[in-house]
Amino acid sequence: MTDKYILKKDHLLPLLRKLKKNHRLIAPLRNRHGDTLFTEIDQLDDVRLDLANQPQNSLKQFFFPQQEVLFTYRNPGPDSYHFEPAAGESPPSLYFGVRPCDLSAVLYMDVVFLKNARDPHYLHRRRNSILVGLNCNGPFANCFCNATRNGPFVDFGFDLQLTDLGDRFLVELDRSRGQEIISAWRQFFAAADDKDVKAQYQAFLEARGKFSLQVHLDLAARRLADDQVSESVWHELSMRCQDCGGCAYICPTCTCFSIRDRQTSESGGERIRNWDACTFSGFTRMAGDHNPVDRQMRGIEKRFRHKLQFDMKKDNRPSCVGCGRCVNICFGGTDIVRFINMTCCENT
Amino acid sequence: MTMPSPDKDLYRPRPAEIREVIVENSQIKTFVLAFADREYNASFTYQPGQFMMVSVPHCGEAPISISSTPAKSGTIHLSVRRAGRLTAALHDMRQGDAVGLRGPYGRPFPMTDLLGRDLLFVAGGIGLAPLRSVINTCLAAGHDRRITILYGSRTPADIAFKGDLATWGQTAGVSCLLTVDRTEPGWAGEVGLVTGLFARCALDPDETTALVCGPPMMIRAVLAQLAERGVADGNIITTMERHMSCGVGICRHCHMDEKLVCQDGPVFTLAELKQLKVMELQG
Amino acid sequence: MAGLATTFGSGAMTNSINEIENAQVMLVIGSNTSEAHPQVARRIFSAMDRGARLIVIDPRRTLMAGRADIHLAIRPGTDIPLLNAMMRIILDENLADDLFIEMRTENFYGLRDMLFRIDLDETARITGVDLARIRAAAQLYGRAQKAVICYCLGITQHVCGTANVQAIANLAMLTGHVEKEDTGVDPLRGQNNVQGACDMGALPNVFPSYQQVDIDDFREKFERAWNVSLPVQPGLTLMEMTHGGKNGPLRAMFIMGENPMLSDPGIATVGETLDNLEFLLVADIFLTETAARAHVVLPAASFAEKTGTFTNSERRVQMVRRVIPPLGQSRTDADIIMELSSRLGYAMDYESPAEIMEEIAMLAPIYGGMQHDRLENSWGLQWPCWDRGHPGTPFLHKYYFTRGKGRFIPAVHEPPAELPDDDYPFLLITGRIYHQYHTGTMSRRSPLLSREAGEALLQLHPDDGRRLGVRSGDVVRMRSRRGEVQVKAQLTDVVKAGEVYTTFHFSEMPVNVLTISARDHFSQCPEYKICAVHLAKVCDP
Repeated sequence: MTDKYILKKDHLLPLLRKLKKNHRLIAPLRNRHGDTLFTEIDQLDDVRLDLANQPQNSLKQFFFPQQEVLFTYRNPGPDSYHFEPAAGESPPSLYFGVRPCDLSAVLYMDVVFLKNARDPHYLHRRRNSILVGLNCNGPFANCFCNATRNGPFVDFGFDLQLTDLGDRFLVELDRSRGQEIISAWRQFFAAADDKDVKAQYQAFLEARGKFSLQVHLDLAARRLADDQVSESVWHELSMRCQDCGGCAYICPTCTCFSIRDRQTSESGGERIRNWDACTFSGFTRMAGDHNPVDRQMRGIEKRFRHKLQFDMKKDNRPSCVGCGRCVNICFGGTDIVRFINMTCCENT
Repeated sequence: MTMPSPDKDLYRPRPAEIREVIVENSQIKTFVLAFADREYNASFTYQPGQFMMVSVPHCGEAPISISSTPAKSGTIHLSVRRAGRLTAALHDMRQGDAVGLRGPYGRPFPMTDLLGRDLLFVAGGIGLAPLRSVINTCLAAGHDRRITILYGSRTPADIAFKGDLATWGQTAGVSCLLTVDRTEPGWAGEVGLVTGLFARCALDPDETTALVCGPPMMIRAVLAQLAERGVADGNIITTMERHMSCGVGICRHCHMDEKLVCQDGPVFTLAELKQLKVMELQG
Repeated sequence: MAGLATTFGSGAMTNSINEIENAQVMLVIGSNTSEAHPQVARRIFSAMDRGARLIVIDPRRTLMAGRADIHLAIRPGTDIPLLNAMMRIILDENLADDLFIEMRTENFYGLRDMLFRIDLDETARITGVDLARIRAAAQLYGRAQKAVICYCLGITQHVCGTANVQAIANLAMLTGHVEKEDTGVDPLRGQNNVQGACDMGALPNVFPSYQQVDIDDFREKFERAWNVSLPVQPGLTLMEMTHGGKNGPLRAMFIMGENPMLSDPGIATVGETLDNLEFLLVADIFLTETAARAHVVLPAASFAEKTGTFTNSERRVQMVRRVIPPLGQSRTDADIIMELSSRLGYAMDYESPAEIMEEIAMLAPIYGGMQHDRLENSWGLQWPCWDRGHPGTPFLHKYYFTRGKGRFIPAVHEPPAELPDDDYPFLLITGRIYHQYHTGTMSRRSPLLSREAGEALLQLHPDDGRRLGVRSGDVVRMRSRRGEVQVKAQLTDVVKAGEVYTTFHFSEMPVNVLTISARDHFSQCPEYKICAVHLAKVCDP
């Protein structure tokens, strides 16, 4: 049992204080309005670390900001057009309290941003990141990571992973940076014994029994693959979709973006990338108003097919991590759980 | 974490100079471009069917397919139809002005598969641009089989790439047929859809590869015609056009089911497209 | 406002928005709910998921109408005959709530006598709606136990806007569909704080909390509180202020957060009026078309830069909190007003928005128990909220109407001020679209929203398009007796033949140069919804 450790809860803040010396620290904090959000910690003593609630945001914004400058350009005359790299360094950052859904989403973003081409902005931030996860002892009302198979516990992808065992955390390692932390701050970590590992397994079994939603994701994915989802499902959902883009913005795995210029002076500007959503009609509309997607009737189809069919076909896993945030935010009632339920209830 | 070194300049274009502007018709101009960095320009190469991301000051970026042949190095031709804000701004630019370029991107035409085949090129309007790249590459390589070019325009005044069409018309082994949708005084040629030209050309379906590019309506009509002639789906090649932001397979604007046009295309065989739900192929 | 105030005694949504989810029948009239009030549409859809029925009365086949169980595609401006016909059918078929009428209302016989004079076949002809469909709608609404009516600017922006609302109120009272939870009459407000502005007396005839200026007790109360003498006469309405032309009644104006140069009908007249002012002061967060004409512009702070409250459609007063300090030289509205007042010789020295709210609570009875400490960390309170112990009021008129008994005010049909004729053969309806907000002062600055909807489109029926030789994407010249604009056509059967629809969000296509300044006699609300236009294709350049 050399790779599992115990961290006493009393020692958590002292450990974070040590880690904060060399890292930007991001963790779920409860603000004064009662909202829990992943936030950069300014002063450890002033904040309320909240490991009991699901943060409303995921880590997406930290690796892939809602808006960022890709480079700047100068265009002092028609025959002169120059492009300069944007400044902006990402300091070493430690993300604490990352639940399995959000951790899996980061692993998915790695594929999106680094597989076809290596996005330098993402890569830089990712390289400077340490992920300290937290297994979910109790899923929340809209959670269904059991159906997406990336929770409530995970055993890879993190640098360190904590499991709440009451008065202590069981600490596991996967990537090398986790080992570096353990080695550097040896005084905080005691070796875990058999009893601790059994307690973790017990917590895992209990957590699995606590999901309140039943989401038959596999069945929906199979029906999509077999082309058994009827047109009426797409039409009903597209009619109800209010086109707000909230699902894509809140989704930890929705990474579509647009690039545009923002002129900042007579002779220059910035090229900006910002979040976009495949549910918007402008997402596919080409110059001259030609749109290869019938937005009125199938506006929302692409999003679900991408997550549950195309990515399934490519990687044999959905690009939905079951965090349930879209269920909460969608005010048209066209979230992915509703889609899955509609698909599964159909008599085909 | 071990990862390969980053492509630092993934999104950052290189400055390029407009060497020449060729007015093809009222809507289409061909821009002859060269990178400002001479060394880079000399080593730059691409393949027919690939596209460049073109930056125009304050207008952002758009994908434009390359219409020149890599056989003639030193410049890149981009033929652009005036359609939106960026292309309108580009149309207002002149010789000596600067644009930004990055690329080339995308899967090219399968040039080696075309060797030893009869080639049928069918294009409408700006659709001739990517095919022009293939045709001139084939001719430069001394393609030894029959080449047929069918080209449709809206009116005689809309016929683009007139210089190339004239050259091809005089090249041995190449037959080049034109048609217009609407005639004008002085036009003695064909009138009607490009499919009307099929009657005038011999076609051995087993020996022919067809390369088709143009507006969706035309594509559908041509595909029907080719199917009737017995050309197999695997021997029909086309290019797809989609809105793009990054060009390198990340932004996901150009999703076509599980394919990305910027990575898996823009060149596809009909056999590949039939595996997908593609709007252009549906009536 | 005036319509519900005269019948119920209070001009606001009688329900909470959440209650709509529990209604059995929803009657949506003059509201493109899914585009203009998506949060309300969401409740309507949820109700439908539970089996509730939807009736939509709208000249266009909007998304809501497409989902409706019954869509009555009326001729614009014929709401009153339609509603009267529904009431007549309800009476004929014994679906009226006699006990409710007896206990809770007055002047029923006035209404009944008028209804009995109606010729139903004539109604079908006027409204262009099949009588059987009207009957089906009346039965559905009349038989429901819990039914809500949602209406919006398609009802009020007519010369007969007040009477339209009275007709709606009559229908609700006739069937007893008020006073209960999940049942009522709900005007949907156009902006996040229109209700609040009205509540605070941004109307010509009332002080905050709808206390009339011409009633001595009310006026004296405010005179004591503010230590000034206040005018006895009601002030001017918006249209009187902005449409005076050269000889307008005003010499100076202070316009805050409003853009009449795009939003008011007959823009040419508005421009003339503003240009003839001796002094025009505008406070806005951006330089609007109106601000561009001002002598002095005061940069105002946006919602994220100030603390205070907004009052929404369901009378809910909610806190907004400052996230960032005001940018540049901008100041909050409260700061601007206090500073102006002080410079003009009346010192206002409120320390904080909370202190202002305390004064509101003292002087405006419906806000009596609303102080910032109660609104902080909650979803807000719904007025009336009489004192600090009061929990707020989710739905109005329980046990008694605000005015005592609900009053039936029979409404008679008044045709629109201008209908199509040979010279101007099309009827133009104006409205809003989802991706843009009002005059676009804010929303047009978002590249994403502009990508989604970046220009005005004129909805035109394909049959009309064919006759005019217009295809989707063609530019048409649209002319009325007051002006002319050019706009891109979009052929769609969402509109009926003979009717066209467009939006007013885009300053390049200021549709309000076409609209008519005819207005409702009571509320003075202009008839944005109907005017006659002529269309012609603009030839290729």
